[in-house]
This record gives sequence, C-alpha cells and structure tokens, in this order.
Amino acid sequence: MIAQAIRNWGGEVVDAWDRFWFTPRRPHTLALMRIATGMMLLYSQAVLALRLSDFLGDSAWINNSTAAALHGGAFSPPDAARSYLWHLSSPAAIWAHHLLTMAVSACFALGLLTRLTGPLAWFFQLMLVHRMTGTLFGLDQIVTMLAMYLMLAPSGSIFSIDSVLRRRYRSAVQSNRFVAWLLPDAAPSVAANVATRLVQVHLCVVYLFGGLWKARGTTWWDGTALWFAAANYEYQSLNLTWLGRFPVVFSALTHLTVFWEVFYCALVWPKLTRPVVLAIAVAVHGGIALFLGMVTFGTIMIVANMAFISPDWIAELLGINCWRRSADLGSDSERSDAPLAAAAVHSRPVPTAGSLRQPVQTHFQG
Amino acid sequence: MLIIGHLWAVVSRPIEFATLGPFGASPSATWFRAPVRGYSQFAYLDHGYAFFAPDPGPSHLIEADIVGPDQQRTTRRYPDRTDQSPRLLYHRHFMLSEFLNDVYHPPGEPPREIAEDPSALRGWHQSRRRYESVRDSIRNRLETHHPDSQITIQRLQHRPPGLPEFIDQQMPLDDPRLYRILHDSIDGELPGGELSGAVQTIPPAPLAPLQFPQADQRRMQIQNDRSEVAR
Repeated sequence: MIAQAIRNWGGEVVDAWDRFWFTPRRPHTLALMRIATGMMLLYSQAVLALRLSDFLGDSAWINNSTAAALHGGAFSPPDAARSYLWHLSSPAAIWAHHLLTMAVSACFALGLLTRLTGPLAWFFQLMLVHRMTGTLFGLDQIVTMLAMYLMLAPSGSIFSIDSVLRRRYRSAVQSNRFVAWLLPDAAPSVAANVATRLVQVHLCVVYLFGGLWKARGTTWWDGTALWFAAANYEYQSLNLTWLGRFPVVFSALTHLTVFWEVFYCALVWPKLTRPVVLAIAVAVHGGIALFLGMVTFGTIMIVANMAFISPDWIAELLGINCWRRSADLGSDSERSDAPLAAAAVHSRPVPTAGSLRQPVQTHFQG
Repeated sequence: MLIIGHLWAVVSRPIEFATLGPFGASPSATWFRAPVRGYSQFAYLDHGYAFFAPDPGPSHLIEADIVGPDQQRTTRRYPDRTDQSPRLLYHRHFMLSEFLNDVYHPPGEPPREIAEDPSALRGWHQSRRRYESVRDSIRNRLETHHPDSQITIQRLQHRPPGLPEFIDQQMPLDDPRLYRILHDSIDGELPGGELSGAVQTIPPAPLAPLQFPQADQRRMQIQNDRSEVAR
C-alpha cells in the first residue's frame, strides 16, 4: 500500500513536471521581451560606442592583458569566462566588431532572422561581458540571461520582420524545411514554454538570494536600508531624501522590499497573489530606475517580470489574433506534410487551431 | 536532463556565494557547484545576486592627481556626472571605481601566520598583484589622456549621511566630512587623510586586511561578483 502510494506520488510529480515544462505556449510574451531585450542590448552597446576605447582594447580602463589575467589564472584559479576580445587590439577591428555586434542586436530587436541573430546576440554579449570585467553590474547579468533564454524560443515569430517575411515567402516556407525553421510561425510551442519557464525560475532564484542576502544585513532589519540607498550621492538621480522625514514610511518600504524578495518565489505562482507581486516588482524597479540612477537595470528587471504575463492576455490586449493570422498561412503545424521543422520546435503534439479557441487563460497566468 | 543541468548551474553559484564565510565557501556548496562551474562561468550565470546587500554601504571613488608637464596640478574624480553621460556610461565608471576597491589588497609582507603557509602566502602576493594590475591599468588609461603627466590614483570612500546628520545637522550628501581617503597601506582603511573627519562609516567599513589566509584566494575569486551586482 505504501509502495503504491509512493508510485502514485512519483507519477504525479512526473506529470506535474511535464505539464510545467512541456505544455505548448504561445510566443507573444517572449516576442515583446525580445524587442525590449534587443533594444536594451543595442542601447548598452551604443553607450559603449560613445567611448569604446575606454572599455575595449589595449588602452582601456581595464586593458586587454589585465582582463585576460583576471580570468586566466594569473591572480586566482582560471575560469571559463573567456573572450576573444582580450586579443583584439586594433581600433579598426574593435570598431568593426562592435558595429557588427550592434547590428546583430538591432536585428534581434526587430526580429530579423531571429533564429540566427538570437544566438549571435547572446554570444556577442557574452564576449563583451567577459571582456568588460570590472565595469559590469546587474543590468549585464539580467540582459544576458534574457538573451540566452529568448534565443531558445521562436521569439521572432510574431511582432517581427520574420513574421512579415513568412507571409511574403509563404510558398518557400511550405516547401523548404530550412526556410520554415528560419521563419517559424507563432503557434504554441514547447520551446516557448521552456524559455518562459527558465526565465521565471531564474527570476525566482535571483529574488530569493537577493532577499536572503538582505536578510543577513542589519539595516534591512532596523528599517534604515532604504534611507541609506536614497542618501547615496553616487546613485541618486532624483532626490528621495525627503523620505527621511517619514521614518515610518521608509522603514515600512524597507521591510516590504525584503519580504517581497524572499517570498517572490512562492507568491508569484498563485493566481491570487501574482498580480500583487508583479505590481510590487514594477514599483520597486521603477523606483530604482527613477531615483537610484539605474534606469536600464530597473527597466530590464520589469521586462524580465513580463515572463509571468500570459501570452494570451497580451494578444488580447493588443487586439489581434496573431495565431489565426499565422495559421492562415497554411497552418504548418497541422499539415501532415508540413516542411516546418515541427519536430524540432514542438517536441509534443501541437494543439490545433480549434483547440486554441478555448477561453483565454487568466491574466498573468504562468 | 538539459533543463536540470541548467537549473543546477543557475542555483549552484548563488548557493556557494551565500555560504561564504571567513574560511571561504561551504565545502559542500563548492562540491555541489563543481560539475557545472565551467558552464556557469562561460554562460555568465555565476552571480550571487546580492543587490544592495547585506547593507547599502558607502560608495568608493577613484581620485586621480595629475601633474602636467607644466607642473599644473589637477584632480579628477571618478565617477563624474559632469563628464560621463548618459547615466549608463556614468554607472560603468562607478562600477570601475567600486571594482578597484573590491580588488584592493594591502602591500607589504603578510602577518607571520600567513607567511608560514605557502599556499596562503602565494594567495597574499597574487591578491596584491591583482590589485596593482588593475590600478596600473586604470592609471595607464589616464596617461593616454594626459601624456607626459605624473599621475597618482587613490581610493576614496564616500558614505551616506545618517539620518540625524541629515535632518538635525542638515549635512548635504556631498559634504566633505563624508569622504575619506583609503590609503594604500596595511592599515590604510583606518580613518585618515586630509578629507576625512572623525566620522564613522555606517555600516562600518572593513578595517583590516583579511584575517583568514585560507579564505583569501577564494575571496578574490568572488570579488567579481561583488563588483558586478547592481548595488
């Protein structure tokens, strides 16, 4: 009897795991995240370009040899954070590489050949961050993470140039497997779900450890942490020191921040608490963006939190039925002779258009 | 399996980072991370996520003293909002100055208990060379902008005022009393220097070099994380 109970429990766990990771999902949320992430990559790289030689090359703040030594074992055991940019010295070559990097990021944001530009954008970003040791911060961590997950999914299948090309070259899509893979449709896919789940779980890890680290401090407990953040001259972009006259307010916000971060990983999943948790995320990161001078970091964290918004809700919000438009192109995933690399994209049977006419999911559903 | 392996890499670094103590990380956390260490490093997943934690502390700046060929002396401070714009560019320079402070290691010979341990002694000297390498790289960059000049750089600490100072004394956030020079010496982080007053940092800054030599090398490994988090 106990053995049977354990078997049943094990079976339920496996089923729940499969449902969580392998239920096909529409790509609309990821497509919006792709646009935002690509734009952030492009902006970050454009800002670098303003003083490129400060950050790349032999005369940068952290020059090539120092950057290589920091990772290569000269001062500590070597690590795997390698970059060929350590060896790029010619200003012309550095500029050519950087312009190529920016072009790829722009293509990724626009959704042009996203199957190719997605992995390329992630790879170039990795090379940059491994080269720019010493000048990085949370923005780089989160935008690199998002680029990594977005390249796994057909995030360029909607709100993209790819979707336009797919309509324009309909016959090629239907007759050529590579073209069909290159220009995927916006049908629900396991890949989109896996990418979404990875962002969600990763975000839970970020907040959990962020909260646990704060819980090790003293000012997050005595309620003064927010004051010391607001009163930090180097961070300040808008004056928040007037909060100092309202100790009840800033200490309450301090405690709320820790509570929210620690319990984000639990409270973001239930439908009941998810809207509240996401609203606090927008408030916290919006505050960081406005008052602590990190517009880019605050924005990209809000973008990451979008992973918890249902793609059906986004499609409904934007007033378009993107799936139907895509399906009208030949419903690749429904055709038995579909050249679309359905097996690669959809490792599970893909729902038919009919099955998708079920009621949309609750807003913010994961 | 790929998903499990990836999630392993995602969680193992923050776990290891959270277990860091005076003797380094927990051996079990290090063991847990070992199989995915290379992957997490290459994929830039090796972060501790200690944003503004454990406490929002003081900022660390770079002050460059530049004596030109005509013996004109100028002082530049990094980051500098008037020079670095947009804000993201300013923030990159801010992280650079924090990084220089994070990798700081005092000069000179180590205490006897470290000198007697070959591994700890090697770590001591490696840490100093690391700091000097970063410091010299920054100085070289300044020299490209100011050729034929004599340039010295030093670290500054700038703490935010406490509430009583701000409310009762109406101390501005950039009051000179909130700054102090961090000297490059074994007791260099003790209060001192022409800009400093008798003001204590809140929370207190580390006052001494690392006490535990075995932890030193590992701690140097994690300093990238400390400088790379959004603080």
